Amino acid sequence: MKILIVEDEKELAQDMEKYLSGENYVCEVAADFKQASEKISIYDYDCILLDLMLPNGSGLDLLELLKQQKKQDGVIIISAKNSIEDKVKGLQIGADDYLAKPFHLSELSARIHSLIRRKQFTGSNIIQQNEITIDLLGKTVKVNNLEINLTKKELDLLLFFIGNKNRVLSKGALAEHLSGDIADMFDNHDFIYAHIKNLKKKLTDAGYGNYIKTIYGTGYKWEV
Amino acid sequence: MGSMKNLLQKQLKPLTVFAFIVFALSIPTYFLLVNWIWLKELDENNKLIAQRIENEFNEQHISEEKLAGSIAFWNDIQSVGKIEPVLKTFRKDSVYTIRKQNRYSKQEDIDQFRILITNVKINNGNFTLTIETNMEENEETVAYIAIVTLLFFLILVVGFWVLNKRLSQKLWQPFRNTLEKLKSFDLTTQQTVSFDKTDIEEFEELNQSLQKLIDKNISVYNQQKTFIENASHELQTPLAVLKSKMDLLLQNKNITNEQSEILSAIELPLARMTRINKNLLLLAKIENNQFADKENIEVTELINETLELLTDYISAKQITVNKNLAETLTLTCNKTLLEILISNLFINAIVHNVENGKINIDFSAKTLTVSNTGKTALDNKKIFDRFSVSSSKTANSGLGLAIVKEICNRYGWHINYSFENNFHSFSVQF
Repeated sequence: MKILIVEDEKELAQDMEKYLSGENYVCEVAADFKQASEKISIYDYDCILLDLMLPNGSGLDLLELLKQQKKQDGVIIISAKNSIEDKVKGLQIGADDYLAKPFHLSELSARIHSLIRRKQFTGSNIIQQNEITIDLLGKTVKVNNLEINLTKKELDLLLFFIGNKNRVLSKGALAEHLSGDIADMFDNHDFIYAHIKNLKKKLTDAGYGNYIKTIYGTGYKWEV
Repeated sequence: MGSMKNLLQKQLKPLTVFAFIVFALSIPTYFLLVNWIWLKELDENNKLIAQRIENEFNEQHISEEKLAGSIAFWNDIQSVGKIEPVLKTFRKDSVYTIRKQNRYSKQEDIDQFRILITNVKINNGNFTLTIETNMEENEETVAYIAIVTLLFFLILVVGFWVLNKRLSQKLWQPFRNTLEKLKSFDLTTQQTVSFDKTDIEEFEELNQSLQKLIDKNISVYNQQKTFIENASHELQTPLAVLKSKMDLLLQNKNITNEQSEILSAIELPLARMTRINKNLLLLAKIENNQFADKENIEVTELINETLELLTDYISAKQITVNKNLAETLTLTCNKTLLEILISNLFINAIVHNVENGKINIDFSAKTLTVSNTGKTALDNKKIFDRFSVSSSKTANSGLGLAIVKEICNRYGWHINYSFENNFHSFSVQF
């Protein structure tokens, strides 16, 4: 899977590249408008991470360019501006998702995962992970063909873990994923513990291996 | 404002006092003057009468015996004067004033008379002639003068008042116009004030100075706003880098327990910083009117949706929520802003609550009241100021209520805080 990171902040681009590279993704970085437009014209990407404020141009113009060239690349806008107009405009021109800076890399990874899954969607939308089968359309989860009943939040968590395999996820990142912007307003995300405990119990009861590990002091990890 | 007086009253009072003193002083002065003229005229008159009487008697050419009878008869029938024989003449005429009871009046009726006693020679005999003329009593003169003076004083004061009022209506009109404009001026709307031209130099100068002051204020305010917006924008990127570095660092397999504790300790202030920055940006955006578009929103629905989002945080603190959503109200406003307003109130009620505490949500009569268990009342004046209740131990950004207030201001809603029976209570009247 090829991902293009269009981001002028070098450190941030590097971090994204590093985090995503472990997940079967091949990442390329474009640091300005010119580089980005060249790469977009020549290659096809599964996903483009697009910063809106670029040296010598706007990310929105790159979106226009993609549209003109009738490209099917998935686009996630990552912007520090976090303005509603930009978001609406970006999504109208053809972006698939919008993520406001600052964000957790795990959130980005989960969004990419979900975007690529949607793009590849052909008839059925089923995720297979070891003994687990998730039907995203029917919202059903089966372990060894045995259906288990997850709450919406537990399903969200499960998908988030699967989108971030072998990654340590902080409680903050998990809370942000579940509660969105509102999580920013709290310091205490202990409720995550209860959801994870329930999820773990339901999965292990159905005979699923204990893949969710607690990492001391920091968070959780889906280890496969 | 009890002791406040308007300009007109202030001006009128000393003028009135001064006029009163002048008029009061004029009363004795007029009296003395009138009295002096009065006495002079009466003395002259008495003298003329005396001369005429003397002449009349002398022109009769009657004998001494008959004269004595005539004088006695004359003395009897008239009250103007009295003729008495004397041996020796006075050196000088005598004039004086006397007061006596009216003989023909039954009540007490004091009259004042001017008397002249002079020497007359009738048929070579020496006589004294006493002439008395009734004159106005002193107190009556004073009273009449006082009444007239008072009348004029009143006319003057009323005149002052009317004139002043008319003049001030006209003269101060530009000032009042300026005042009205100043009252309606609101820095946050950034609309400059244009004062009406006036041909009064002082007011024109005042207007120009105010114009300068306002323009300067708007410019400073704008600079400050732009600064805050730019500063928080600039902070977004380093914050994003920090956050991503943290995420990467967490992936390190060789982290010791001690290090991981430090890491999670860094996450807290980082989250707080992100929060403050986000809220500052939000405030700047609200002030910049970047949430202008409106739509119809069912408030109760939005309240329930917001509560749903917060369920995890509410149950984590084992808070009981009591809802009473009687009102069905559809507002036309910006959805994002209303969402922020409602969620900030709820978040506030959760963050500042105690374990096993309570939150009461009441929506009736167009008023949303959110109250939560608390210990001590907060300062009503400062509570909506930025960073006024910020403390390191709570998770707040110090901006949540400032944002609520700003949104309320935008739409002209009223927000109120009260503390009763250990409950903090915030109510927004839509």
